[in-house]
Amino acid sequence: MIWEILRMAVDSLTVNKLRSFLSMLGIIIGVGAVIAIVSVGSGAQSQVTSQISQLGSNLITISPGIRRGRSGRISFTATDVFTMELAEQIQRNCPSVGLIMPNLQTSGLLIAGSTNYQTQVVGVTPAYQQIYDFYPARGQFITEEHETSATNVMVLGSGLAQELFPDTDPLGKTVKLFVRNRHLLFVVVGVMEEKGTGAWGNIENQAFIPASVLMKKINNRKYVNGYTAQAVSATAAKAAVGEIEYFLTRYMGDPEKFRVTSQEQLLETISQVTGTLSLMLGGIAGISLLVGGIGIMNIMLVSVTERTREIGIRKALGAKSRHIMVQFIIEALAMSGLGGLIGIGLGWLGAAGVAKIGGWPLVVTHGSVLVAFSFSLLVGLFFGIYPARKASKLDPVIALSYE
Amino acid sequence: MLIQAVNLQKVYQMGPVRVEALKDASFQIEEGEFVAIIGPSGSGKSTLMHILGCLDQPTAGRYFLEGQDVSAVSDDKLAEIRNKKIGFVFQQFNLLPKATILQNVCVPLIYGGIRGRRRQLKLAEQALEMVGLGNRVHHRPNEISGGQKQRVAIARALINNPSLILADEPTGNLDTKTGKEIMNIFRQLNKEGHTIIMVTHDQEIADQARRVIQIRDGLVQKDEVIA
Repeated sequence: MIWEILRMAVDSLTVNKLRSFLSMLGIIIGVGAVIAIVSVGSGAQSQVTSQISQLGSNLITISPGIRRGRSGRISFTATDVFTMELAEQIQRNCPSVGLIMPNLQTSGLLIAGSTNYQTQVVGVTPAYQQIYDFYPARGQFITEEHETSATNVMVLGSGLAQELFPDTDPLGKTVKLFVRNRHLLFVVVGVMEEKGTGAWGNIENQAFIPASVLMKKINNRKYVNGYTAQAVSATAAKAAVGEIEYFLTRYMGDPEKFRVTSQEQLLETISQVTGTLSLMLGGIAGISLLVGGIGIMNIMLVSVTERTREIGIRKALGAKSRHIMVQFIIEALAMSGLGGLIGIGLGWLGAAGVAKIGGWPLVVTHGSVLVAFSFSLLVGLFFGIYPARKASKLDPVIALSYE
Repeated sequence: MLIQAVNLQKVYQMGPVRVEALKDASFQIEEGEFVAIIGPSGSGKSTLMHILGCLDQPTAGRYFLEGQDVSAVSDDKLAEIRNKKIGFVFQQFNLLPKATILQNVCVPLIYGGIRGRRRQLKLAEQALEMVGLGNRVHHRPNEISGGQKQRVAIARALINNPSLILADEPTGNLDTKTGKEIMNIFRQLNKEGHTIIMVTHDQEIADQARRVIQIRDGLVQKDEVIA
C-alpha cells in the first residue's frame, strides 16, 4: 500500500509542476548553500594548510616578546636579545631541536647591468635549505665557508633571476646591492628552484646572502630578529617548543622577552578560524532550509484545502486517517527530498566552480551530503506533519460537500 | 436482516441553535431489497443516508448493519466498514479527477488491502466491463460523459463486493435518457441480488424501486412496498 501511496504522491506533485518547484526552491537553495559553503570552506582550508606545510615542516618560530609598559615605562619589543651565539646554545641544550637559523632580512635595491629591482634580501645559513625544504636548482646555496668568512655571494630566487637576467645565465655574474646608502657587490653562485606562490607573498623574488654578511657589513648589529627552528621529527615539535621555552626562560630570566610558536599551533589557529567561519555560513544556510520548510508547509496547507473533496472521496471509499496522513507526509517528503537532491547537485557544481577559480581541490565530503540531505528530509517531515494531520482529521461528510 | 435502524436521531449544534436533522427513524431492510428514501430537501434524508453509509454516527438510537452495532465504533472501524460493506454512488460522481478511470476503480481495493497491482487492475477491468466501459479504462474523468462517469462510479462501488449499494441522487446530474440507463443498471444489479438504497427527491425515480420510505421533518412518514 505504501508503494501506491508513494505513486499517488508523486502524481499529485507532477500535476502542479511549477508550484511544486517553487515550493522546493527554498530547500534547493538551502541545501545547495550548505554543500557549497562546507566544500569551499574545507577546500580553502586544505589549500592554506598545504601552503603552510609547503614552507617546511615542523617549524618553530622564536620571536621577541612584547614588554608591557608599567609605571610610566613605554611598552617595547625586546630586540637586543637574540644573537648568533644564542642560536647555537639553543641547539646544544634542546635535544628535540634539529636545526636552527636566524631570522634576518632587509629590503634593498638590486642592480645588474641596466636592470634594477627592489626586493627582499634574506640573510641565511646553510640550514635554511632543510628547514624550508627549498633548494637551488642551479649552482649552489650559501655554504658554511661563505658564512664563516662573510663572503659577498648571492643566491637568486627563480623569479628574481628572470627579472635581473632575462636573457643571460646569472651564474658568476655580479649584482650590486643598495641598502641605506651602502652598496656592496655580490657574485651570483646559485638560482633557487621554483616553488610557486607561498602563503606569505612571493618567495620566488627573494635574494639570499650569508647571514654574517647581512649582520656585519649591512646592519652592523650582532642581534637578529629571531630564530626559526626545526624539530627532529613531527612528533617532537611539541617537546621542542617546551625545551626552548624552558631554556630561554632560564637563560633570560624573563618569559616575557620572547615568544615561541610552532607551525602546528598556527595550523590549529587557522583551522579554528576557518571552522568557525564555515559554521557561521552553514548556520545562515540552515536558516534558508528552515524558510524552505515553511514554504513547503504553506503549499501543503493550500493543497489540503484544495483537495478537501478528494480527501472526502478517499475517506468514503475506506481510507483511514493514517492513510490520508501518510499520503500527505509522503508528498511533503517527496518535495523536500527532491529539493534536497537538486540542491546537492547545484551545491556540488557551485563548489566545483569556486574550487576551479580558487585553484584548490574540490572537497565534498559524504558527511556534508548526508547531513544536508537528511536535514532536508527532516524539514519536510516536520513541516509536513501539521498539514497532513489537518487533512486526516477532516470529517468525511463535510469534506464530501466541499465545493 | 441487513439493516436495522432503531430510533435514529441526529442533532447538530450550530452555535446557540440546536438543529434536529433526524428526530426518530426506525425501519428494517432485508437483503436483496431495492429501497428508495424520498423526501424534500431539509427533510433529513441526507443525514439518514450519511448514517446508513457509516459516514456519520447518530446522536441517539442504534444502527445495526449485518447484526453489528455500528452506532458507536471508532472512526477507523467505520472506514473499514465503508470499504468492505458499502458501495457509494454520488450525484456529483465524485471521481478523482487526476486519476484514470481504471485507477479510480482501484482505490477501494488499495484501502481494502487487496495486494498485487496486477490483481487490482484485473479486478477493476472486470468491474468496468460489467458496466460497459471496458474500452475506456485509460481515459480520465473529464474525457467521458456524465453517464459514463456514473457507470465508473457504479463499477467502483461494486469492486469490493459490498453488502449494500448506497446511491445519493444518482440521476440528479444526468439527462432523462441517461438517467433511465443508470436506473436500468441499478434494477439489473438488484435482480442479481444486490441490496440497493437510493436517496432521491424525485417521485418518478423513487417509483422504480420496490419499496419507498418517505421522510419528512426528520421522521419516517410512510413506508410502503410498491411491487
